[in-house]
Order: sequence, then structure tokens, then C-alpha cells
Amino acid sequence: MVVYSFYIFDRHTECVYVKSWMPPQVPGTAAPVLSTGSDDAKLIFGTVFSLRNMVRKLGGDDDAFISYRTGQYKLHFYETPANLRFVMITDTGSASMRNVLHQIYINLWVEYVVKNPLAPVEHKGGAGVNNELFELGLDQFIRGLM
Amino acid sequence: MAASKASRIGEEIWKTRIDKVNAELVTLTYGTIVAQLCKDFEDDYPEVNRQLDKMGYNIGLRLIEDYLAKSNTMKRCSNFRETADMISRVGFKIFLNITPQVTNWTADNNSFSLVFDENPFADFVELPDDGRAQNELWYSNILCGVLRGALEMVQMQVEAHFISDVLRGNDTTEMRVTLIRYIDDELPPEDD
Repeated sequence: MVVYSFYIFDRHTECVYVKSWMPPQVPGTAAPVLSTGSDDAKLIFGTVFSLRNMVRKLGGDDDAFISYRTGQYKLHFYETPANLRFVMITDTGSASMRNVLHQIYINLWVEYVVKNPLAPVEHKGGAGVNNELFELGLDQFIRGLM
Repeated sequence: MAASKASRIGEEIWKTRIDKVNAELVTLTYGTIVAQLCKDFEDDYPEVNRQLDKMGYNIGLRLIEDYLAKSNTMKRCSNFRETADMISRVGFKIFLNITPQVTNWTADNNSFSLVFDENPFADFVELPDDGRAQNELWYSNILCGVLRGALEMVQMQVEAHFISDVLRGNDTTEMRVTLIRYIDDELPPEDD
């Protein structure tokens, strides 16, 4: 399993964290061409937000949008009751990552970002999110999956 | 979710997932905060109430995340009655090991009371005998702020205030919580 990238969006729909594990592009390999430009976060948010709303409209308020798959990648989504949204993009073969995203929320986000008394409550522009403990914990956790 | 199920969840989390701290440390720490506020604002008790509420609000904004993580909550409460049960039987249980009674519902199910049979913040406390504190200071007012902040994060705007307190000589300690509205999802800004 390969994790390509990971995003966190706050309740104000702002992207507060991005991380990419894209391997350097080697010519001639079959690695998918996924860009990680700054506009991507906006596009991704727009997409998952619309899908989530559509899913709820069709499936009822308790229904949750979990993932979608294309020929090149699979996008996983998890939203907390406090409207924090986690998005992870992996290769197409990976199983559901909903649990993984939930674990990231419980064990990394709450522990290292929320409970850091000096980090701001709102993470405007990503303030307070990219601290070392969170960063290291996330990287280790994701690499452990791959 | 049935109230008994909420009780079970609260009990379970309290037993297995909570780091405990000495109760007197909590009581004395909280007391020190209130005392210092009274000093800083020169016994302007309404202002002390406001400051406590504000501190609580800022705590609540964070505490809700810990609550959601510890309780493994994946979805919203389906109505305000369920919310009230979860506040009392899970929230208060896991953070303070108390379960205030949820009671005095209004007919529209938008407003209820929490009656505190015990209150770890208020152990050993006697309000100052200056003729005003008994009528003006809500000693545990930080709790109102906590509820307001925590519920705001899960898209409920509420108003919370104490209406009686045993410290003032009332028979019970009672907090009134009223749902003002459910907050809508924020939408992404329009592209220019």
C-alpha cells in the first residue's frame, strides 16, 4: 500500500495541514501523476464537501461519505463531529482507511495539536499544527502502514 | 441513545481511559483562580462571572475534541435530549466523575436543567461574607463557559447560566442550558 498525500481541513473549510509522500518521479515507472500544488487543496475540499452533502442528501443525515476511487488513486475521507475533515490519497488497491484517519485524529491531532496549551484554538494558515511531535508521529504512523 | 447506555459508556471510559488526578488539587487550583480573579477585579463579581465564563469557553473549545476522542463518538446526537444525556452521563462523568441530573425540560425540548448533587469545585468553599458575593458571584461559572464552548464546536449555540447554588444557601446547585440554534456548516469561499 502506498500513501500519496494527506490533508486536514478545519471547520472554516480552510486547509490547515498538507503532507505529501510522493516518491520522486522516476521516468518510465508507472507511478501515477498526481500533482500537489496549492490549488489542489481547494479542489479536494470542494470535491469532498460536495460528495459529503450529496451522500447525506441521498442516504440520510447519518450516512457518511467514505471514499472514492479513480483509475489512478483512491481518496479516503473522515469527518469528526466537530467538522474537522481528514483526507488521505492512496493507491487504488488499499483497503478502507477510515479507521486509520480516525486513529490519526485521536492519537495525533487531539494529543499533539489540541492538547498543546500554547497552540491556538483556530489554526489559521496552519498555525500550531505543524509542530514536531505531530509531524514526527504522523510520518512514523504513515510509514508504518506502507 | 438510551440514558442507561450513555451511563455505561461514561462508566467504561472513566474506568479505562482516564488519567486521574487528586481531587483536592483540582478544588484548590480552581479556588485559586476564582480568588485571584476576585482580587484582580476588586470584587466586581459580575465581571468575575464573565471572566470565568470566558475561560471556560476557551477550555470547552478544546475539551470537546478530547471528549470526542475518548468517547469514540462518530456521529452527532440525534436530538437535544440525547445531547443532554451525553453531557451529563459521559461528559461530566469522564472529566469530573459526577453525573448531574438532567431535569426540568421545557415543553419544546430546547431547555433543561443540570442539578449538581455534588460539585468537586465547591468542596471546602465558603463565599466571602461581604454581603454581595452571596448574591452576585456564581462560583462554578466556568462550567457554563465550558458547555457553551464545547457545544459550539459541534454546531450547537447554547446559553448556559446558574440559577441556584448551595454555596449561596440555595437547596440545590442548578444550571440552566438553553439551545438557541443549530449552527449551519460553513461553506468554502466563492472563487473570484
